[in-house]
Amino acid sequence: MSILIDERTRVLVQGITGGQGRRDTKHCLDYGTKVVCGVTPGKGGEEVHGLPVFNSVAEATQAHAVDCSLLFVPPLATKDAVLESLAAGVKLVVALAEFVPRHDTAIIAAAARKAGAIVVGCNTNGLISPGKCKVGGIGGDRPYDCYVPGRIGVVSRSGGMSAELARVLKFAGLGVTTSVSMGGDVIPGTPMLEYVKMFVADPETDGIVIFGEPGTRAEHDVAAFLRSGACTKPLVALLAGEFQEHYPKGVSFGHVAAMIESDTDTVSAKRRLLADSGALVAHSLGDIPRLMRDALG
Amino acid sequence: MYKLTEDQSKAALRAAGLPVPEGFACASPEQAAAAAERLGGQAVVKALIPTGRRGKAGAVKLVPTAADAAAAARALLGTEMLGHAVERVYVEGRFPIARELYLSFLLDGLPPQVVLSTAGGVDIEETHRTDPDAIIRDDIDPLVGFTETQACTLWARAGVKGAELGTLAEVSARLWRAFREADAVMMEINPLALDAQGRPGVVGAMMGVDENGLPRHPEWAEQADGSLIAAWRGFNEREKRIAEVNRKFKGGAIRYTELDGDIGLFVGGGGAGLLQHDMILALGGRPANHTDMNPGPGTGEKNKAVYLAILDNPNTTCLLVGFNYLQLAQCEQKVEPLLAALKERGVDPRDFPIVLRVLGPGEDAARAMVKDVPGITYLGPDSSLDDGVRLICEISRERKALKAGAAQ
Repeated sequence: MSILIDERTRVLVQGITGGQGRRDTKHCLDYGTKVVCGVTPGKGGEEVHGLPVFNSVAEATQAHAVDCSLLFVPPLATKDAVLESLAAGVKLVVALAEFVPRHDTAIIAAAARKAGAIVVGCNTNGLISPGKCKVGGIGGDRPYDCYVPGRIGVVSRSGGMSAELARVLKFAGLGVTTSVSMGGDVIPGTPMLEYVKMFVADPETDGIVIFGEPGTRAEHDVAAFLRSGACTKPLVALLAGEFQEHYPKGVSFGHVAAMIESDTDTVSAKRRLLADSGALVAHSLGDIPRLMRDALG
Repeated sequence: MYKLTEDQSKAALRAAGLPVPEGFACASPEQAAAAAERLGGQAVVKALIPTGRRGKAGAVKLVPTAADAAAAARALLGTEMLGHAVERVYVEGRFPIARELYLSFLLDGLPPQVVLSTAGGVDIEETHRTDPDAIIRDDIDPLVGFTETQACTLWARAGVKGAELGTLAEVSARLWRAFREADAVMMEINPLALDAQGRPGVVGAMMGVDENGLPRHPEWAEQADGSLIAAWRGFNEREKRIAEVNRKFKGGAIRYTELDGDIGLFVGGGGAGLLQHDMILALGGRPANHTDMNPGPGTGEKNKAVYLAILDNPNTTCLLVGFNYLQLAQCEQKVEPLLAALKERGVDPRDFPIVLRVLGPGEDAARAMVKDVPGITYLGPDSSLDDGVRLICEISRERKALKAGAAQ
């Protein structure tokens, strides 16, 4: 098993007729992903890689059963495109665009929650269940360089680091069930903890790796989950960006941010919190397989 | 976050239909006098710098006449206050304050937050410490926004009664709409004032806007460029060059920030850059800079500009080029501009050792480019980011030892 996507997942591509849409859709098809159709407003009736293109998601989902929407849509158009897929009842939306305005990401996340859907992103390269399906640019056209089937679930706030984490797991003979690049934005479509819970529920995932960064409360939520005792699998956490704490803080602007934010969302504070909550904290890539193997026995 | 100056914040709020006192940004004492004249003589003169706590720092002066406005401007212009050069002052009409309140919005996670209080006009952090019950905080549903109903409920909870309640609810909901329209992530209205007749005035206003929203706000975009990199100090000459390159090529900006160490960093892929920097510090190394690169228009030119900046930084003794395993970008895109920059500056890598940990598509071509260049170490296909970091820290130590030896 895996989480979210597998060999049966039927994918619709929004923005399939653009350059990146065409190229990355080809890579997904080559990998075996079941891409069933595409959507570009005004291009209904065209074909891309032999797939039918529709004018709207609603039109496309009338003709095809769809489990997942993959968006190659510019940042300022991303919110409307996500809402369009959610309105059509799609329960998994992968929004790749970087630089989506934060107010839009807040609306996307709130709408996803309301619809009971998962939005991966924004600002992501997608997700992959090695050997079964990949959705997004993740792995490029050579996914096996990094991603091989295995026993570890990965959720990363960095798309690039997703590849690096998968690579150490590959060399260690552990491999990956599913790797999710959840997106690097301040407000992700779906919080990190949701993916961790899915990995806990997935019978084929034996251990979980998270990659965290400064800012947001993502890692705090995971720590609270660990403390609750509900995480029945070893969780290795690699967090990067501590060096930023060595920068001068600068003159503070306004007081409200300082009052509401606190020093608890620095990397060093999160590392301490995760360690105290039972996570295995890695300080380098090499630590990850070592800690994981020890924990798995 | 890009911090708007007061004139920018207030112009945005005025355009959104909020009651904002009339005011003018002035670059000279003469302009300040003319502005005060237009306001009827009585005015407030403030240093136009993007920061709070200006009152305490002496950056705000109440003046009774236009001549006093000119004198106040003369005293402020050209000085440095709270770390910012005062190049302009803001001359504003005086609002007849009868009551001071506080309202702020924050979008630094989900859900957005509103904070309000009837204790306005003073430092809200101080109020938070001494009288936390005077501060009301609530969540805002981004799908609904901050409505008059929610505002009314919260102001009533804060103790506001009668006609003032309706006035504040209306102004607060309008401020939320302005906050959203501006793509702001922080807005602090302090004080939100009422005059003796109960009419509202947005007297103190600070806003920080989301860089990702700037394409919707071209009026701020150009000035915001500069704030991407070194917000706590001015740019040095090399950082300015990078800002220039960012202006030239739209799309993802490069961040290049110089630090106090000796290890040049050309690292990227967001998280991978952070991780390598952390690991260098953990091994006792000191980076000379941090970079974060985004692909997009002008990638080759942008890359070369960063390499040139690193080579021109006199503190740099060696260079780590380290990326996460590339999935779509090509390795030679990282290596080709490096060679061009070395050639342009006449730098021999034997005197300036370089470690490359650049794997993925195009790797063979990239390896072929540097095969015969002594001083460049291209780590093998099985190497990890850890290996690059260890090697560059060793090299940095050797360079320091050499330098110390030469000095003796």
